Amino acid sequence: MSELIIENLAKHFGDVRAIDGISLTVADGEFLTLLGPSGCGKSTTLFAIAGLDTPTGGVIRVGNQTFFDGDRGILVPPEKRNCGLVFQSYALWPHMTVMDNLAFPLRIRKVGAAERQRRIMSALELVEMDRYAKRYPHELSGGQQQRVALARTLVFEPSLLLLDEPLSNLDAKLRIRARNWLKELQKRLNITTIYVTHDQIEALAMSDRIAVMNKGSVVQLASPQEVYTRPSGAFVADFIGSSNFLRGRMKHRNSDGGAEVILEGGLQIRTIWAPEVQEGSDVLVAVRPEHIRLAAARPAANDTNLLTGRITGRSYLGARYQYALEAGGTSIAAETEDSLDRPEVYATFEPEHAVVVLP
Amino acid sequence: MASIPMPTLSGGDDRFSRALIIQSLMSVATVILVAAPLAPILWQSLVDRPLYEAGGLFTMDNYARLFGDAGFYDVIWNSALLALSTTLVAGVLGVAFAIFLERTNLPGRRILRSLALWPMYISQLVIAFSWFMMYGPSGYVTLLSQQWFGSALWNLYSIPGMAVVAGTGLAPLVYLFCASSAKRIDATLEDAGRMMGAGSLRVIWSISIPLMRPAIIYSALLTFISSLEMLSVPLVFGRPVGLEFFTTYLYSQGLGGITPDYGLLGAAAAVLLAIISLLLVLQGLLLRKAGRFVTVKGKAQRQKLADLGPARWPLFAFFLVYNIAILAIPLAGIALRSVTTFLTPLMAPFDLLTTQNFTLIFAYPAYVRSITNSLLISALGGAIATAFVALVTLVVHRSEFRWRRQLEYVALYPRAIPGIVAGIGLFWAMLLLPVVNLLHGTIWILVLAFTMRSIPTAFGAISPALLQIGQELDKSARSCGADWWTTSRMIVLPLLKPAIFGAYVLLFLSFLKEYSSAVFLFSPGSEIIGTTMLSFWANGDTGPVAALSVIQLVITALFVFVARLLLRSHQDV
Repeated sequence: MSELIIENLAKHFGDVRAIDGISLTVADGEFLTLLGPSGCGKSTTLFAIAGLDTPTGGVIRVGNQTFFDGDRGILVPPEKRNCGLVFQSYALWPHMTVMDNLAFPLRIRKVGAAERQRRIMSALELVEMDRYAKRYPHELSGGQQQRVALARTLVFEPSLLLLDEPLSNLDAKLRIRARNWLKELQKRLNITTIYVTHDQIEALAMSDRIAVMNKGSVVQLASPQEVYTRPSGAFVADFIGSSNFLRGRMKHRNSDGGAEVILEGGLQIRTIWAPEVQEGSDVLVAVRPEHIRLAAARPAANDTNLLTGRITGRSYLGARYQYALEAGGTSIAAETEDSLDRPEVYATFEPEHAVVVLP
Repeated sequence: MASIPMPTLSGGDDRFSRALIIQSLMSVATVILVAAPLAPILWQSLVDRPLYEAGGLFTMDNYARLFGDAGFYDVIWNSALLALSTTLVAGVLGVAFAIFLERTNLPGRRILRSLALWPMYISQLVIAFSWFMMYGPSGYVTLLSQQWFGSALWNLYSIPGMAVVAGTGLAPLVYLFCASSAKRIDATLEDAGRMMGAGSLRVIWSISIPLMRPAIIYSALLTFISSLEMLSVPLVFGRPVGLEFFTTYLYSQGLGGITPDYGLLGAAAAVLLAIISLLLVLQGLLLRKAGRFVTVKGKAQRQKLADLGPARWPLFAFFLVYNIAILAIPLAGIALRSVTTFLTPLMAPFDLLTTQNFTLIFAYPAYVRSITNSLLISALGGAIATAFVALVTLVVHRSEFRWRRQLEYVALYPRAIPGIVAGIGLFWAMLLLPVVNLLHGTIWILVLAFTMRSIPTAFGAISPALLQIGQELDKSARSCGADWWTTSRMIVLPLLKPAIFGAYVLLFLSFLKEYSSAVFLFSPGSEIIGTTMLSFWANGDTGPVAALSVIQLVITALFVFVARLLLRSHQDV
């Protein structure tokens, strides 16, 4: 059906590698997000799938149709790919009404007038915009335009739904609502979807899987939970949420899936084992600020990791405080609801929140 | 959601897609159009006999004869001197207009701004004739000044005199480019100068004008080229006293003798082409580093007008007198001449009133035809040319066509082809190619020549608007299943309508004014207003010339009026 397969996709401009050998398989009906900072190649990849950007090598296949094959010289033009692409700016044609915008792809497919009308109305009902069929795009709000753009894409039943940061132009509250609504709609239609965003919260909330990209490569491809709790490297650990990095050396692996790391100051802590790390090699231990608990008094000794530190700064975030600590020669950020007065504090975190990554 | 399956898009051979066919056809047509006048000229300049004769042998003799002729050096010297002094006049006036009309609180700026552009709407031929009738050696105003001061204070039969006629006519060009640059100067840059103790005038001189440098360089070279290409002023004011220029040289070499010297004509035309091409290259090189003059950053721009203080009234008076002298008097003069038998300060014009100038024109089919031909060429030819260039612009800016960058160079090259050279070249193309010769005696050869000459103008009018239309609008149409042509036809061209209409207005007016490429191409049946005026002028019949000028001016005024109305009511398109 509409399984998307990308093999070794590359886009080079001379020495610059906008996409550097990406391979992905997206299952039928799956919601996959390409997540990364600007310039990581996520939009280039999306446009390469749509046919609006020509890669320099690799293969793109949907079902049994090859869209692009660098070696065999196959390049299907965008109009023959049957991909539905929603642009960041929505790209609604300003000289056409909502109705005419939706009719355009159907006219090209020579759908009869009655059937066209039926399909347009059902697509508009799907996005709850059926009352606005006669309006022009400039008469709609941003959120409404975004829905119409989606309806225009869905009306011709594309084999793939490609979304390029479709929510980034909405205000914060609307974005959260649109996010839930879009996710629910995607599941209902069971349409294979590639979603491009730089917003980690959107990616975590909506995706079946996330492909985290950096500098033209996919650095981690996993479920949202796994990307968050088991980042594959320092880049992912810091880009998704944020992380403190403690420098140390892997001492040995425990039988229970844990490991022991000796930090630079000599303190030994317990962490999760990372299969790619050798015993004895230099590592970073990533700990998220929200996983660090602070206390003024020394907690009772138990299995948690314990650091002693000094508070060097504090900012009020509304619901919580964020503290900057100095612990063992490293600065650490930690978040807590408590207001701490004395500079000396004890910071504790669970071994399962201490992720070992290669520096 | 569907009960009936969605029809799939039929595949097709991508190698010969509709898009590629249209793009290739447009490119080939552009190349042929631009090459049609050039190739015969270059060929003729290098063979030893007229190009229609078989067995031509390669020779450099034509160039040797051209540069062996002492008169040709006079031609080069005169042309350079006239172009330089015209550029100086137009440059000083244009920059002053830009500064005073855009950046100061001069009274009556709005009206003065539109007056400053008027000479652009008027044919250079009409400008030359009307100046001749008023300020020429026996012109009305010249004779008046002789009565009052004893002798004429000016002599238009001289290079400085011609530079004033041509320079005031070309000043709008400089003003147009410098005005948009002057408007974009960020006032904070000027305020910074004022904070450091510079006075208003000092700031204009040391900060504002240097910031306009790219626009000044660009428009100065454009003026220089335009005055090299100009035929009307040299013809009217230079030839009577034996001053020869490039264009009059080509004109007399080509039309003067019974059998023109083809080789010499070809070589002279090729030299003029080479000079102008070099100037365009120079223009590109000078503006390559224009980045340091970028004054536009984002949208928020503060605009402040310099206060001229009490000097504003004398300056206003100057602008008023200027417009009366260069616009009102010549135009009133030519209008008066068209309804009188004679125009002299010695007799009251009301005693000489007549309608015979107009009745003469409307009595002869050939004269009437020159008016209907002009209208047809402007209205229909202008529309065809606009459609053609709009498509070329689409191929250049909005396609995956392999040679689109090269196409842009070809499309912009006609800037380097003077009208008279284009006329000679196409005339020879008619002699050489039977296909082109089919157009002989029809207005279509003129439409072809005018279209070729106007590609850069229309391209320049449409391109900025096209670049402002977001790429994602066509990209989304493509991903909806529309091919390049459907996307262009249903999305891009409809959005481009205002710019296309603007380009049509420009082309209508320039086709109406154009004459220099027509002098070699017209023949009985395909006369236009310009060529008919030139033949009346050659016979010394200034009355019908004035009548035709008035007719052309009235058509221009009506067209501009209607176009403005349409533009205003369709602002939302």
